[in-house]
Amino acid sequence: MSANLIQRSLEDATRPSVRLTLRFDWSLLAAVGGLVTCSLVVIDGATQNAVAGSPHYYTVRQAGACAVGAVLMILVSRIDYSRLREWKYGIYALMLGPIVLVLALGGLTRGSKRWISFPFFQYQPSEIGKLLLVLSISAFVVDRSRRLRERETTTRTMLLALVPAMLVFLQPDLGSGLVYLGIALMVLFVAGTSYRHFLGLFALAGVALALVLAVAPAVGVSVIKPYQLARLTAFLHPSQNPASQGYQQAQSEIAIGAGQRTGRGQTNDTQTRLNFLPDNHTDFVFAVVGERFGFVGASLVLSLFALLIWRGLRILTLAKNLYGTLVAGGIVAMLLFQVIVNAGMTVGVMPITGVPLPLMSYGPSSVLTTFLAAGILQSIYVQGREAAANKGRISVLG
Amino acid sequence: MTAIERRIGLLFVLFIALLAVGGIRAAYFGAVRGPTLRRVAASQQVSVVSVPAPRGTITDRNGVQLAVSEPADSLVADPYLIKDPVNTGRLIAPLVGKPADQLVNELARAHTGFVYIARQLPDDRARRVQGLGIAGLSLIPEMRRTYPQDWLASQLLGTVGTDGSGLSGLEWSQDGSLRGHAGVRRVVKDALGQAISVQDLHPTRPGHSLQLTIDANIESKTEQVLQQIGATYRPKRASAIVMNPHSGEILALANWPLVNANDIGGAPPAARQNGAAVDSYEPGSTFKSFTVAGALEDRVVTPQTSFDLAPSIQVADRVIHDAENRPAVTLSTARILAQSSNVGAITIGLREGASPFSSWVRRFGFGSSTGSDVPGEAAGIVPKLAQYSGSSMGNLPIGQGLAVTPLQMITAYAAIADGGLLRAAHVVAAVNGHRVAARPGRRVISPATAASLRSMLQGVLAPGGTASQVSVPGYQLAGKTGTANVAINGGYSQSLYVSSFVGMAPAIDPRLLALVVVDEPQGSIYGGTVAAPAFGQIAAFALPYLRIAPS
Repeated sequence: MSANLIQRSLEDATRPSVRLTLRFDWSLLAAVGGLVTCSLVVIDGATQNAVAGSPHYYTVRQAGACAVGAVLMILVSRIDYSRLREWKYGIYALMLGPIVLVLALGGLTRGSKRWISFPFFQYQPSEIGKLLLVLSISAFVVDRSRRLRERETTTRTMLLALVPAMLVFLQPDLGSGLVYLGIALMVLFVAGTSYRHFLGLFALAGVALALVLAVAPAVGVSVIKPYQLARLTAFLHPSQNPASQGYQQAQSEIAIGAGQRTGRGQTNDTQTRLNFLPDNHTDFVFAVVGERFGFVGASLVLSLFALLIWRGLRILTLAKNLYGTLVAGGIVAMLLFQVIVNAGMTVGVMPITGVPLPLMSYGPSSVLTTFLAAGILQSIYVQGREAAANKGRISVLG
Repeated sequence: MTAIERRIGLLFVLFIALLAVGGIRAAYFGAVRGPTLRRVAASQQVSVVSVPAPRGTITDRNGVQLAVSEPADSLVADPYLIKDPVNTGRLIAPLVGKPADQLVNELARAHTGFVYIARQLPDDRARRVQGLGIAGLSLIPEMRRTYPQDWLASQLLGTVGTDGSGLSGLEWSQDGSLRGHAGVRRVVKDALGQAISVQDLHPTRPGHSLQLTIDANIESKTEQVLQQIGATYRPKRASAIVMNPHSGEILALANWPLVNANDIGGAPPAARQNGAAVDSYEPGSTFKSFTVAGALEDRVVTPQTSFDLAPSIQVADRVIHDAENRPAVTLSTARILAQSSNVGAITIGLREGASPFSSWVRRFGFGSSTGSDVPGEAAGIVPKLAQYSGSSMGNLPIGQGLAVTPLQMITAYAAIADGGLLRAAHVVAAVNGHRVAARPGRRVISPATAASLRSMLQGVLAPGGTASQVSVPGYQLAGKTGTANVAINGGYSQSLYVSSFVGMAPAIDPRLLALVVVDEPQGSIYGGTVAAPAFGQIAAFALPYLRIAPS
């Protein structure tokens, strides 16, 4: 009996590299692949007339970003994410630096600027910043994992997220700012922070909101720009002013509704084709899906996201260490928060913010970030499986 | 189950619930509100617009264009779609003729969905605005009415509103023919308001053209003559009508002050009226012809009947003199007309009697509209027999105490000129190329009576007549002067007069009839000196122009 076992474990020991290369969370991979396919089909249809003489302009760029992203995802999945924990200060600085830079450049040009332009695409630091925040903040929380009961841990973690959140908010990109805070809350939640701390945080947020919305304007300080406020509250009364702030929301709802059950097809999607739907390949891509493929299409996309979230949460439980658990939690929060806010905005239950639909919206920064995040999830999965296998082997040997 | 697993479970349930909310909303839109929202989508993309029909052209009898329609689109903007109001305003300011600042203000009001930038732009400018290709600007097809002859017959032609419907004059009275039928067009637009496809559901049917009996050259001459009267006598207003008495065709119809049809707003409101048909005046002596006509036809008098006339005559409480003080004279009927004796005309009227006189006034068409196609014709004011007072026969036979329109007066004279047939005048010769049927005449006096009246009226322009200084070499003229006091506050002004002259040529068989009425001339007051020379000038031009053979 023991000779057999030893023989098997010896065989195992001789092929770890082979098994490592083939090991993936295939469901997660399928979800990513499915969403990317949907994205390319929808963007290709929606942007045929966007750039004169180049009907596939956006499709080609999105596909390129996906290809690069896929390679990055596979590479990242092969490394041990745990080593990133040691570089937490560097990662945090890497997140903050470009955001500050963009803000400074924007200040110089006196306008809203979220990008640094490169020859092939515009780099949007706030996108990759979401992932970098997950990686760094999880590391900070792991460091203080024995002091989670202390209020100071919660406070420090939230402050670490609040700094980039406020900077992104000033760009102004309210939606991404909220994603940063959502990530921090999720990491704390998964780490096991007391519910009382969350209650305290929400109370504090309530007071801050009241100050920004009610007290500050009363004393003449404009923290939030009027158009931002109008945009944020338009979804509460869409029919009041359909020609302006509620316009996008109304057009989006019309598009989804006009798609009915099975969609209007490639040639009849007039909301998209005639540009009634604003930003149809970026922020409102979900409405394009709704118009062209109907409720069936929208359900498919939402199901793929459900699969993604489920695999994310599953991987979270499989992680070999706390850092992996927290990173997985943060990534799930990052993805889900964006899905809920973006899809919610297109169906009129969330305010309009510039948050992309991960893997669906056109945007190389967002696509690369999401692929990297998926890669890290795969890495957590692979490492977790590997550790479990090793543990089994050790127990057998022991 | 550990604490962390509980939390993960909680999160999973929460996340799936949130996704489900999105899914349920999408299902709600797609399934429940789907048909409605699909209609909404269609309605904002497809619009059915009206394409205005060009109004029919109005020409004179020889095809000279008096009123034409040309495309003049209105420029509208949806400020919500205007990305750069400042640059847009600057670009289009020179094309629409508005200050750039004002345009920028209008374009920057993002919450207004629709604003008129310019009404009825000339076509070339509209095309240039379109050529700029600015999203949010669009052209609404409209037509603009223009009057190539500017001043010519403008009060007769009338005006058209910005909506394309006739407001006054022939534009109003012939609106049904001129207007045409607007087409219906289905336009699919994208979100920036650019038309993607255009489909005509109903073709546009242009309005019918209108050919008038007016002759632009005679009209122009007539207006020129009135302009001279205006400059010389500075009257309140003046009108003239020139007519072919055989057919009732109006060859010219002019009102002074002249009005530029392309700038109606620049004229005083009173001048915009077609006074020749609308305004009534007390005719005075020109009316005496009808007093005499009735008496002749009833054989109460003959042209040779002589009357012993005292310097004045008393009727009830009124004492009437002739225009100039004179001793007692004996005058024939013919001389009474030639010299325009008030005493003589009243004497004839009294001999005729109030009742027959009153019916003659009506038979010549006074007191009711003549039934012509001249727009806005008034009925004038003529007392009914029952309303006659004791002194009525002291002023009605000399054309006082009643008011007539110039159109009524010339129509009645046309009966004298045309052998006793009274016929409504007309100004529309053909609609859409189809000739308007000639109106039958109605006999009011015998050809013999008409002929003898014409020969008596020749005396007016002969030596000793009230218009003896007017002549057109080669032509025998007949006519009648009128100088009437203007009624003010129940009495008669001693300083304000209406001077008029109605004349015809050739006297034997008149081919041309013209009436000139000058309201409140200054300097001279007599019909013979103010209005008769104007007739002379019109006749001197029109007779050879119409190739009417000299007598």
